[in-house]
Amino acid sequence: MDLLRRVQKALALVGLGAALASCSSNRSDQLRLGAGIALTGNAGLLGQDARTGLDLAKLQFAQLQPRLELELEDTGSDEVGATVAFRRLINAKPVAILGPSLSQQGFAVMPMADRAGIPVIGVSTTAPGIPQLGPFVARVASPVTVVAPRSLAKALQLNPGIRRVAVFFAQDDVFCTSETQIFQQAIRAKGLDLVAVQRTSVADTDFQIPITNVLRSRPQLVVISALVADGGNLVRQLRELGYQGQIVAGNGLNTPNIYPVCQKHCDGMLITQAYNPSLDNASNRDLLKLFRRGRPADAVPPQVTAQAYTGYQVVHEALAKLKGTLPKGQSLTSLPLADLRQRLLKTLLAGTYQTPLGELRFSPEGEVVQRDFSVARVSMDADGRSGRFVLQP
Amino acid sequence: MQDLVQLLLNGLSTGAVYALFALGYTLVFSVLGVINFAHGAVFTLGAYFTYFLIGGGAGANGLLAGLQLPFALPFWLALPLAGLMAAAVALVIERIAFRPLRAQGADPLLALITSLGAGVVLVNLIQLLVGAESYAIPTGSLGNLPAAIQLLGAQVRTVQLLLLAVAAGLVVVLSIWIDGSRSGKALRAVSEDPITAQLLGIPSGRMIQIAFGLSGFLAGIAGGLVGLSVSIAGPYFGIGYGLKGLGVLVLGGLGSVPGAVLGGLIIGLAEACVPADLSGYRDVVAYGFLFVMLLVRPQGLLGKVLPTKV
Repeated sequence: MDLLRRVQKALALVGLGAALASCSSNRSDQLRLGAGIALTGNAGLLGQDARTGLDLAKLQFAQLQPRLELELEDTGSDEVGATVAFRRLINAKPVAILGPSLSQQGFAVMPMADRAGIPVIGVSTTAPGIPQLGPFVARVASPVTVVAPRSLAKALQLNPGIRRVAVFFAQDDVFCTSETQIFQQAIRAKGLDLVAVQRTSVADTDFQIPITNVLRSRPQLVVISALVADGGNLVRQLRELGYQGQIVAGNGLNTPNIYPVCQKHCDGMLITQAYNPSLDNASNRDLLKLFRRGRPADAVPPQVTAQAYTGYQVVHEALAKLKGTLPKGQSLTSLPLADLRQRLLKTLLAGTYQTPLGELRFSPEGEVVQRDFSVARVSMDADGRSGRFVLQP
Repeated sequence: MQDLVQLLLNGLSTGAVYALFALGYTLVFSVLGVINFAHGAVFTLGAYFTYFLIGGGAGANGLLAGLQLPFALPFWLALPLAGLMAAAVALVIERIAFRPLRAQGADPLLALITSLGAGVVLVNLIQLLVGAESYAIPTGSLGNLPAAIQLLGAQVRTVQLLLLAVAAGLVVVLSIWIDGSRSGKALRAVSEDPITAQLLGIPSGRMIQIAFGLSGFLAGIAGGLVGLSVSIAGPYFGIGYGLKGLGVLVLGGLGSVPGAVLGGLIIGLAEACVPADLSGYRDVVAYGFLFVMLLVRPQGLLGKVLPTKV
């Protein structure tokens, strides 16, 4: 009887040891990827789109080596929240970090990751100067200098008679201020009259005063650089107060989350797209298939969703490529973390990727090089509650 | 002339929102002598209640994802109902964040912190339940009324005029109630000296509850109307209004109902006067104006200087 108990104990210990060994061997292949995005505050709408993209990428790459464990932190919508989130992410010892959502936050926290020697890849930070923040900083979101002027050109193509242009921009957000500079340069370069420039705040919701100021100058085109909640309200109130001309919106409004804000008044807005849902490549097909699970068959991911998915994908592909360069039997996790991050950065910047955004590569300083852009016109359904971004020829 | 009318309309319509917000602060301050920092969260809840009562559905990012009530009320019915629901929440806040401290004779300053805590909990609860996304009350909720109307050549959105009318109406009703009714006079007695009022047979506790209930009702109505006007930009959208409302409360005179209205309209007009090229600095102008006013008249425009007992 005593012998039987001893055998049982020994078997139990062996079983426990085997379980622990298998557990630790699973973990040894798993790398941690950090993501800091705005899930709350006035940029939360953009962050929700990014979260969807990350979740879909996690599903897509779950079964592929190397395994990535996603560590998600809410940065809120300001620099303080982003700093707290990035400090936690850095302490979690990730191989790389995706985010943050806003350029304003990026200028505060990307240097933190850079100083820690962690590759940080912006998925929606489009202000000029982001990749120059440090050698470990890169992005998959095309800079505003490349994106912004295209929708302006399309508006002029659709209505060549436009002469008088008014501009609104949120002065307390660095992305909006840099985007409006690009827009205003383009407006002047095309010989148009800049009849009014109105500064707003991303926290504003009531625009009665700035709109009535602008409407007195009888603009034929209004160009808006704002975020979703403030920008959507601005568009709605512009229309309600009688403005009937063309509206060009910046990248901050580039999400279906504007539909419930400006409702039927979103209709007709022009926005440049870094993501074309009809792009026919394997990566985009994967994204669309995953995104449409539980959604209508023709549902289309927002641009930021595609960009976040792309951010995850390029990190995963670079890690897989790096793994292929190691001697047989050696795992990525056997490398010292600092060395792994260095090598990841080098591999990441050297690669070319087929992504939902089209073919991407990086400049040596981490700027994304993307070829495919299009301009979309927002088309709202009759009920004014849902709509779509219709790509313009 | 047209520019002047436009400026006045802009200022009054913006100021009406601030006034409506500050009225709620004022009611609680008048009986307890403390500011209820959870007022902004109750305002936010009022907007969400209105949205759901008119048949709106929850988005995809909260525990209540996809939830929709089985009925949809017209806006004019949903709004007062949302006000009542907000009033109920305000009563709960009074019960858990103010009354226990009052019962222990704690420093009134501590209630600032408990009310702030209650507000933070409420805002995060909203986020947990219905997510951080924007919700909008449909633009057609006012029936066939036009989106905007012209007055003497100036443009104003109909919903802004409605806000102005509701704020004016509520101020008149409140003033009549406070000055002309028995319970209103009882409220004034409690605000002057709760212990003496209690000795005279006035139920101070009940009057405080009435003040909270009314304050919550006003916040709910204001939230619903502002939500209709500018959409509900997530659980935090009451914060900006709350800060401005505090400024208005101080400018008008702590605890003064007409002062809250006057302060709101003055701040609104001050913002409307900001030139176009400085439009992003409206808050600086508004708070700078407030700062100067308080240096000249620390008790606020219509506040009273109370004699200090020695």
